Amino acid sequence: MASFDHVSAARLKTHIDEVELPLRRSGAHAESAAEILRYGAFIGSEVHCHASLDRTMVRARRAINQLEEAGRSIRSGTTIIAASLTGSKGRFTRHWHAPPGGLWGTVILVNTLLPRFRNLLPQTVGVACCEAVRRYGVPATIRWINDVLVDERKIAGFLCESFTGERSGEEYCLLGFGINVNNEQFPHELRDSAASVSMVAGRSVDLTRFACDFLAALAFQVGLLHYHETRVLRQETEEHPHPLLLLWRELSDSIGRPVVYGFDVVARPQYRARTVEVTNDGGLRLRLEDGREIVEYSGEIRYL
Amino acid sequence: MTHEIDFDDIIAKYRSDPYKYIEVCAPHTGVVAFRVGKGAAVDAASGEWLHIPGTRLFEITRENNGKPIFSPIAGIVSELRADLEGRFVEAGEPLMTIRHPLKKKDIIENILKDVLYLFRAPEKAKYFFALDIQTRIDKKGARSVTIKPGDEILTMSLMKRDTPVYYAGEEGVIHSVYFEPGLSVAQGEPLIGICSAEKLPLIQKVITRVKAEWDNI
Repeated sequence: MASFDHVSAARLKTHIDEVELPLRRSGAHAESAAEILRYGAFIGSEVHCHASLDRTMVRARRAINQLEEAGRSIRSGTTIIAASLTGSKGRFTRHWHAPPGGLWGTVILVNTLLPRFRNLLPQTVGVACCEAVRRYGVPATIRWINDVLVDERKIAGFLCESFTGERSGEEYCLLGFGINVNNEQFPHELRDSAASVSMVAGRSVDLTRFACDFLAALAFQVGLLHYHETRVLRQETEEHPHPLLLLWRELSDSIGRPVVYGFDVVARPQYRARTVEVTNDGGLRLRLEDGREIVEYSGEIRYL
Repeated sequence: MTHEIDFDDIIAKYRSDPYKYIEVCAPHTGVVAFRVGKGAAVDAASGEWLHIPGTRLFEITRENNGKPIFSPIAGIVSELRADLEGRFVEAGEPLMTIRHPLKKKDIIENILKDVLYLFRAPEKAKYFFALDIQTRIDKKGARSVTIKPGDEILTMSLMKRDTPVYYAGEEGVIHSVYFEPGLSVAQGEPLIGICSAEKLPLIQKVITRVKAEWDNI
């Protein structure tokens, strides 16, 4: 198994300059790639790597409060990574298996986006992860809102949680990521529904390189949110379609499929429908069996 | 929170006018075209997920984009600004009033909302109880769960971004729950109604009294 040595802010910056920027210059935002990456440059402004933690989300909250207690503020973009987690969890009460070999962490963002742009933050991690995974020859797709799948097996999941600093009242958005990279052993109940990059690629992956790929892609996608917000506010462009959602649509296979929807779809599936489109504000339009349509802005789907 | 209730006054008020009046306003500027007349019966959204729109009340057209506006509640159109038909109106202009007949349950809820401390939705989103609160509710029921200012009581979920919601009201028990975990709650709508333990008998008195009085109307 390829080892995870160390990701640092300097290493990430070099990776952005030498790998991410040239890639983006040949993509959909060729001319503005450098500017977008500057907007997202705060991602990974500090990177703290740990051999093992309970949960990186918990660590992130503690780091914010500890710095505030000392009269300081945490740097936006501070990223906490652990080689393994002992108490990881998904949404609701779901367990998340996080042994060595995967990429587990949290990015701390100071909340400076307007609400209508901030609402798309959960999509940034899904798009960034899907792009990073595809760079290893793995045909990943996104399931609304931001699960990353390969052949309908989950390869990555994300938690997006708001947090308010206890002393300052500053609001943060914590982007938690769990990506199965080289870990190939899953608990019995996940064996049929989980996969890792190495399993699909047929080779182990340099985990440090992968972490840089993911964080650099995230810097681009978060940068795109800020870049687009600025352009809209300057009236240099229309608000819709949002370029992040255009990228999301290219990477997702969620549209036109029969699905079951639920706020917590595992514990309480609510209804079956067919997905119609993702709206310009990120909602999922679903057509029920009677032809009526609903737009959901939260919750989850599972493919039927 | 109200400490004393003049039941006779309240009951008389509802007895003389057992309706709720909802003013429907222009959501944005545009040209108005009414689709119902004064006195028309209108329906609210229906279906298990409230996905079937209510009666189409009017359309408002801005820059050639016509937006249909549906009735938020069932009732009768009691007032209509027919003089505005085909005219340009500003956002917030009242266009019609819907008279909604109240049931006994609505009246009890209305009175309770005067008596309870209402904790309202900070944003339009879906809400669910924080894990700790949910566990306590599952074990003993909501009315056995006491909360105090600063407690993390709910999680607000919007686009899969979960935001903890902290309670900022009087200490008390969760008497009424106004949201369902799977359905969106509009900003400002009540999520839960809180009652201090010593006021619980008063609440019970409200319910009993209204039930008895209303049956006699």
